[in-house]
Amino acid sequence: MISLARQSLIHEWRKFLPAVMAVGFSGLLLLVQAALVLGIFGSAAVYVTRSSADVWVGYPGTQSVNFGRSIGGDVAMRLHLDPGIAAVEPYVWVEGDWRGRDDTQGAASVFVSGINTSPGAMMFSQVLPDDLRLRLREPGAVIVDRADLEQLNAGVGGEAWINGRLVHVIGVVDGLRGLGGVNVLASLDSARMLDTSNASPGSATYFVAKLRDPAEIESVRVRIKPESAFGPFEVWSADEFASRSQRYWLFDTGAGVAVLFMAVIVFVVGAVITSQSLLALVVASAREYATLNALGVSFTSLARVLVEQSLWVGAIGLVISALFGAALLWLAGHQGVPADMNPVVAIACAVLVMGLAFVSGLVATRGLWRADPAMLLR
Amino acid sequence: MNKQVQNWQGHSIEAQGLCKSFMSGEVTIKVLDGVSIGIAAGELTLISGPSGCGKSTLLSLLSALQKPDAGRVLILGQDITALGQKDLQRFRLEHTGFIFQGFNLFGALTALEQVQLPLGYLGLSDKQARERAMQALEEVDMLHRVASRPAQLSGGEKQRVAMARALAKRPQFLFADEPTSALDGENGHNIVDILHRVAREHGTTVLCVSHDPRLIGSADRVLAMEDGLIGREWRPEKSAHGESNAVK
Ligand SMILES: Nc1ncnc2c1ncn2[C@@H]1O[C@H](COP(=O)(O)OP(=O)(O)OP(=O)(O)O)[C@@H](O)[C@H]1O
Ligand SMILES: [Mg+2]
Repeated sequence: MISLARQSLIHEWRKFLPAVMAVGFSGLLLLVQAALVLGIFGSAAVYVTRSSADVWVGYPGTQSVNFGRSIGGDVAMRLHLDPGIAAVEPYVWVEGDWRGRDDTQGAASVFVSGINTSPGAMMFSQVLPDDLRLRLREPGAVIVDRADLEQLNAGVGGEAWINGRLVHVIGVVDGLRGLGGVNVLASLDSARMLDTSNASPGSATYFVAKLRDPAEIESVRVRIKPESAFGPFEVWSADEFASRSQRYWLFDTGAGVAVLFMAVIVFVVGAVITSQSLLALVVASAREYATLNALGVSFTSLARVLVEQSLWVGAIGLVISALFGAALLWLAGHQGVPADMNPVVAIACAVLVMGLAFVSGLVATRGLWRADPAMLLR
Repeated sequence: MNKQVQNWQGHSIEAQGLCKSFMSGEVTIKVLDGVSIGIAAGELTLISGPSGCGKSTLLSLLSALQKPDAGRVLILGQDITALGQKDLQRFRLEHTGFIFQGFNLFGALTALEQVQLPLGYLGLSDKQARERAMQALEEVDMLHRVASRPAQLSGGEKQRVAMARALAKRPQFLFADEPTSALDGENGHNIVDILHRVAREHGTTVLCVSHDPRLIGSADRVLAMEDGLIGREWRPEKSAHGESNAVK
C-alpha cells in the first residue's frame, strides 16, 4: 500500500522542516534539562557513587550524605565481627569555611571528607589514585576538584584556612564536585583536626564496608540489626543511600517540582508549535485530502495518515535531538559541567518526544474539517 | 408524482424534488428549487447553464458529497440521502469516481502512486492495485509519465492522471465538474473522448457539468439549467436513437 505519509516526508521534506525542528528542539531541551538534573542532583551522592563501598552505616534517618551525624566507634567493631563483611572504613564529614591565604574573597563553604589513606581504600576510590591518597597522610594536606580551584582562589601547592586551621592543597582530581558546597578531601586525622565540634574519639560520621559477596547485602543487614549497646545507627546499601541523597535534593528541596514544571512547559510549547506547523500543512493540502475523501477514503483513514506522518516527524526530531544532545553532553563532560544521562531517563525523554509528536498529530487532524469534499464542487 | 415513478425505469440515478439553499449572511439563497431528473447508465450526460445557477451544487447532491435540504437521491434504487457519513464514504469508495476542476494531486506522489493510492483503501493488494493503476493510466494515455510527479506534468497531463485516479476504481458512476475548463482545445478533446469511451465501454454513468461547447456538442444528453431548475433537455444531433426524456 502506498504510504502517503512517508512519500510526503521523503519528497516534500522541506515542508516538514518546521515541525521536525520544533520536535527536535523540544527533545533537545528535555534531554539537556534531564542531563543537568541528573548531573547536578547526581553530584549530591558523589561520596557514595565515587566510592567502592557496598554498605553505608550512619545515623538513623539520615536523609542525605551531607546530613550525617556522628555515630560511635563501637559500630565499626560490630561490623568487623560480621562474617559477611570484608573491610570497614570510617568516613568523617566536617563542614567548614575556606579562607584563602590573602583572605580578600570571603569564605567559601566546604565539605571536608576525612578518608582512609591506605592504598586500595574504599572512599573515593574512583577519583583518587593511590599515590595521591598516600600523600594525604601529611598533616593538613587536602585535595580538591580541579574545577573548584578558581572558586577557592587556590592553586596546587597553595595554602588556605579551613575553620581557622592551615591546610595546603597537594593535588587536584576530577569528578569530585558536589552540591551545596565544595568537596575537600583530607585524611581522617586532618579532618578531625578541622572539626570544631568535639566528637568522641573513634567515632565517625559514617562507617562504610565492603562485603565478601555484594549479593549478600540483605542477610548482612538482617544480622546487623541496630542494637542499643552500640548506640543508634542504620544500615543502607550504597545504591539505596545514593538515591536517598539524590531524592532528598530533588524532591524535598522543591527543585524536582521546578524541573517537572519546566518539562511540562517544554512539552506544551513544543506540542503547540509542532501541531500548528502540522496543521498548516494539512490545511495547505485540504483539497487533496478532500479529493481522497470524495473518492471514498474515510476521514478516519486520513487521520491515520496524519498521525503516521506526525510519528515520523517525531522520530526524525528525536534522532536530531539525540545527536545534538550527545554532542552537548560530550562538551559538558569536557567543560566540567555536571551533566549525566542514563538509559531509563533517555528512554523517558524519547517517550515524551514521541508523545509530543503524537499529540500534535492528533491536533493536526482538526485540519481535516477543512477537507470537506463538497468544497471541490463550486 | 406518478410521472416521476415512470421515469425511474432505466435510470441509474434518480433525483426527486431536490432543494438546496445556502445562508449568505442574513440572506438565504435558494440554489435548487425542486429539481427532479433521471440519469441513465452507459451515456455521457451533461449539465450546462449560466455561472452560479447551481450546476455544481446539483452535482454534489447527485454524487453523495452533500445532502439536500429536501428531496431524495436514489442511486441503483438505494436512497443515499438516508445514509450516514460512514456509509456514504463506503458507498463513494465502492461506486463513484470524481474529476474536479482543480487536479488536486499530491505533490509528493508519482503519477502511478496517485492512481494506486485510493485502490489500497478498496482492499486491493499492492500487485492488483499496481496493475489496475497501470491499466487506468494506459486508458488516459499516460503510460509514458508514470514516474513523474505533478511538478513535472502539464495541465492536461495532470488532468489525465486525476482521471486515471477516478477510473482505476472502476466506478459505476463518474462525476466531473468542469473537467476541461483549465485545458486547451487538444487536451480538452482528449478528456471528452475518454469520458465517452468510459461510458460506452464500461457502461458507466457519466455525469458532467460544463459550459464548454466542445463538451456540449459531444454529450449524449444535455440538461440545461436555469433558476434552480432543469429548463430543457436535448440530445445533440449525432446520437441517432435519442428520444427525449423531458422532466417537466
Ligand atoms: N457552500 C456554499 N455557501 C454559500 N453559498 C454557496 C455555497 N455553495 C454554493 N453557493 C452558492 O450557490 C450558487 C450556485 O453555486 P454553484 O457552485 O452550484 O454554481 P455553478 O452553476 O456551478 O456555477 P459555475 O458555473 O460558476 O461553477 C452560487 O450563487 C453560490 O454562491
Ligand atoms: Mg461550478
